[in-house]
Amino acid sequence: MTTQLDRRDFLKSGAAAGVGLAVYFTIPAGRGGVVEAAAKYEPNAFITIMPDGLVTVHVLKAEMGQGVGTALAQVVAEELETDWKDMRIDYPVADPKYGLMLTGGSWSINWTFDSLSRGAAAARMALIDAAATSWKVPASECAAARSAVRHLPTGRVLTYGEIVAKAPITRTFSEDDLKKITLKKPAEYKVIGQWIQRLDIPEKTNGRAKFGIDTFLPGMAYAKIAYPPTREGGKPTAVDDSASKKVPGYLKTVRLPDMVAVVATSYSAAVKARDALKITWDLGPNANVSSETIFADYARKATDPGAGIEWHKSGTPGAPAPVRTHQATFMTDYVAHMQMEPMNCLASVKDGVYDLYTGSQFQTMAVGLLAATLKVPPANVRIHQHYLGGGFGRRLEPDIMVEAALIAREAGRPVKLIRSREEDLQRDVYRSATYQVVKAGVDSAGKVISWDATIVSGHPGGRWGPDFLNKQGLDDFALNGADHVYDIPSQVVRGVRAETGISVGYVRAVAPNYTFFAVEIMMDELANLAKVDPVKYRLDLLGGAPRLANVLRIVADRSGWGTPLPANVGRGIACVSAQEKKTPTWTATAIQARVDPATGKVKVEKIICAVDCGIVVNPDGVRSQVEGSLLFGLSSALIEKGTVAKGTLEQKNFDTYQVIRMSDVPEVVEVHVVQSTEYPTGVGEPGATTIAPALSNAIFAATGARVRQVPLQADRVLRAIQQKA
Amino acid sequence: MATLTVNGKPYTVNVPGDTPLLWVIREHLQLTGTKFGCGVAQCGACTVHLDGSPVRSCQIPISVAAGKKITTIEGLHPQGQHPLQVAWIAEQVPQCGYCQSGQIMQAAGLLAKNPNPSDEEIVTHMSGNICRCATYLRIKRAIKRAAKGGA
Repeated sequence: MTTQLDRRDFLKSGAAAGVGLAVYFTIPAGRGGVVEAAAKYEPNAFITIMPDGLVTVHVLKAEMGQGVGTALAQVVAEELETDWKDMRIDYPVADPKYGLMLTGGSWSINWTFDSLSRGAAAARMALIDAAATSWKVPASECAAARSAVRHLPTGRVLTYGEIVAKAPITRTFSEDDLKKITLKKPAEYKVIGQWIQRLDIPEKTNGRAKFGIDTFLPGMAYAKIAYPPTREGGKPTAVDDSASKKVPGYLKTVRLPDMVAVVATSYSAAVKARDALKITWDLGPNANVSSETIFADYARKATDPGAGIEWHKSGTPGAPAPVRTHQATFMTDYVAHMQMEPMNCLASVKDGVYDLYTGSQFQTMAVGLLAATLKVPPANVRIHQHYLGGGFGRRLEPDIMVEAALIAREAGRPVKLIRSREEDLQRDVYRSATYQVVKAGVDSAGKVISWDATIVSGHPGGRWGPDFLNKQGLDDFALNGADHVYDIPSQVVRGVRAETGISVGYVRAVAPNYTFFAVEIMMDELANLAKVDPVKYRLDLLGGAPRLANVLRIVADRSGWGTPLPANVGRGIACVSAQEKKTPTWTATAIQARVDPATGKVKVEKIICAVDCGIVVNPDGVRSQVEGSLLFGLSSALIEKGTVAKGTLEQKNFDTYQVIRMSDVPEVVEVHVVQSTEYPTGVGEPGATTIAPALSNAIFAATGARVRQVPLQADRVLRAIQQKA
Repeated sequence: MATLTVNGKPYTVNVPGDTPLLWVIREHLQLTGTKFGCGVAQCGACTVHLDGSPVRSCQIPISVAAGKKITTIEGLHPQGQHPLQVAWIAEQVPQCGYCQSGQIMQAAGLLAKNPNPSDEEIVTHMSGNICRCATYLRIKRAIKRAAKGGA
C-alpha cells in the first residue's frame, strides 16, 4: 500500500513562526506556589521540591555534552541553600509553560543565570516564611542553609522536605518582586565556582545513558527513507516498490513529497526493502551545482558593486584618507556537523497526539512546525527529550521529527527512523562555504584607520523563515563577528546572501568561524606591513576592550611570545569576542606549529588559550568545553573539507569526511580561565573560532607564506610557499 | 536463528545470518550502550569484545558472532566499576557521551594486553575511535590513570 502526502504539508515552515530569536529568554514565574500539605512544592516551572527533600531542577536546555544540567543545578542550589547531595536534574517534555526552549549560541548560562538565581531565591524565602509561620516566629529570626530552615534564637530546624510535607507554603512572587530580590555577591558563593562532578557522567560510562536512538515502544516498526540524490530540489517521479514487498519483514511504502519511505519489522529489513525500491528521480535545478560553480558565483557577487547590504557601520564616514590600502580575499569550504549520533526519531501517533522521542536543541520551533505540518494543535505534539549524541547545531533542525511523524501517521504504528551515516551527511545542513573580501586603509604609521568587508555566504535563517532574518533580510548569525571590537575610525561590513542549492545551517561557533578567520589574519597582515609585533598591533586597537586585551596578554606570556623557535616552526595568535558582540566571551589563543616546507604539511605542537567568560559556574565544565571547542576548531581548520558535485556533498562517511582523531591532538593544549565577577557568558563555542586564524598566522610565522583558505590543507600551504618563492 | 552469548547470558534471535551484530545487540536485545556511528568501521562507536578482543560490531555478521563470547559495555563490570569506568568519571571524560562506550571498550582491550601502555601506544590503539566532542585529552589521561591503578 502506498500513500501520497500533500506537498503543502511540507511548505508550512513559515507557520513555525512566532518564534523569533529576538525573543529574550525569561523563565515564567510559574503557578506561584501555594502547596497543600504532603504534596510537592513547585515554586516555578524549573524547580520541584519533594517531601523527601529531593530538589529536582527541570533542565530546559538540551544536554549535548556541555554538562549544562549540572551547572544550572549549581546556580539553583546556590540561592536555594540546598545541600548538593539533594540536587537532581531531569529533562522535561516540551511544554509552552517553559517558554522558549532553545539551546545554542553558548547562551544557556548567560540567558538563565539571573532568572534561575531569582527563582531559587524566591523559593528559599517562601520556605523560610512557611517554617516561620509554623513556628509562629518572625521570618527575620530564621535562616536557610543545607536544605533546612533554622530558627536562630531556639535552634529549631525544619528540613525543606519536612516543610513541603507539613507546612503550607503560601508566599508568591510577582515579576516585580523577583526583580527586587537581592542576590548573593560572588564573594558569598558556596556552590557556584566549585569543582563539582557532572551529574550526567556516571551513566555515560556504563551504557545506561539514553539517547534518542535508544528508545523503544511496543509494536514499533523501522523506517528507512530513499532521499533524492541532490541536496535541494530533487523529487521522485516514479516509484516501483514491487521488489521491496518481497523482502521479509516489509510492511509499507510511504510517499513523502521529496522522498520515499519504507516501513519494515526490523532495521535491517527496512534497509533491504528501501534498497530494493526502483525510483526515477527528477534531480531538480541543482543537478549541476559544484564547489567550482558556487565559488565562481561567490567571487562575482563579492566584486559586484551593487551586491550586498550594509550590515554594520561604525565610526566617522570620510575619516582621514588612508595613505595606503591592503586588500585580501578569504575562503572557507563547507563543514558538516558529523555529530556522532546520526539523526533519528521514534514517533508514535494515537488519537491525533504525536509523541516524539529524540534529542532536540529547539523544541519550541519543532513543536510549531510539527503542529502546522500535521494540522494538530501544538499541545498534541509532545517531544520527549533525551540526551543528544552531539548537537553542534544539527539538532536545532526538526527535519527528522517531521519525517518520522509523517511516516508513523501512515504506518499506523510507532516508527523508529534512523539515518545511516551516509544519509546523515548527505542530508546535513552545512556550515556555508564563504568568500570574504577585506579592504583596510592605514595611516602613515601603518595603523589601520578604515575597514571595509564584504561577506558572501549562505544565510541559514532564510530557510527557517522570515522570523529568523533581520529587517534587512539578512541572518545576523551568518555575519556575527565581522563587527569586531577593534578601535578603527571607519568600519563597514556588507553581507551578501547567496542561495546555492546546498542547505546551510548553524554549525558550532557559527559565523565567527569564518568572520574571525578573516579579521584575525588581516590584523596579522597589517601588523606585518607596519613592521609591528602582531600582539602589540592588536593591543593598540583594543583600548575599548580591556578584557580582550587581558586574555591576549595572558596567551602571549604563556606561549613565550617573541622567544626564538627552530626553523620551520612558528607562533600565531588570534583574539576574539565570540559569540556575539552583546554577549562576548573574551578569548585568545596562541598556536605553535611546524610546517614541512617540502610538502606543506602542518603539525600543531601547542595550543595555549585564555578565556574570560565572567563568573565561572563549574570550572571543570568550562575547561572541558574550551578544550573540546579548541580541538573542534582544529578539526575544521586543518582537516575537514566538504566539497560539492552534482548538487550534493561529495563526501560520504568518516572515511572521506575526516575529522580530528587522537593522533591529531597536539602535545600541549593549555586552557587559562580568568577569575572574574562579571555576569557570565558561554564557553561552548568561542575557542573554536580562534584556531583557524591563529594557525594560519603561525604558518606565516614559520614560512612567510599566507594561507587564506580553510581548511589549511598541505596542498594549499605548499602552493602559498611556492608562490612566495 | 542464531544463538549467542552476550555478557554471559545466552540469547536466541531470529534474524537473517547477514544481520550485523550491532543491530542485534541494540534493537533485538535492547542493549543500547553499544552505539551506531558510521556502519563502516570508521568511528569505533560500536566497539564490543568478541572472545575478549575489541571489534567493530557493525562489521560482524550475526552468523560469525554466533557461539562466541560477546561482551558489551553493560557487561564490562557488573557494577560499572571497571578501572577504566572509574577513571573515566575521575577525569570527567564524557561530553555528549555517545562515543564513550566504544572508547572504553577499545581501551579495555588495550589494557588487557598491555597493562602499562606508553602515550604512543595509547594513541595508536585509540585513533580508530572518533570523539566529535574531542575529549581525546581526557581519554588519554583516564587510560593512564586506570593503567596506574589509580582512580
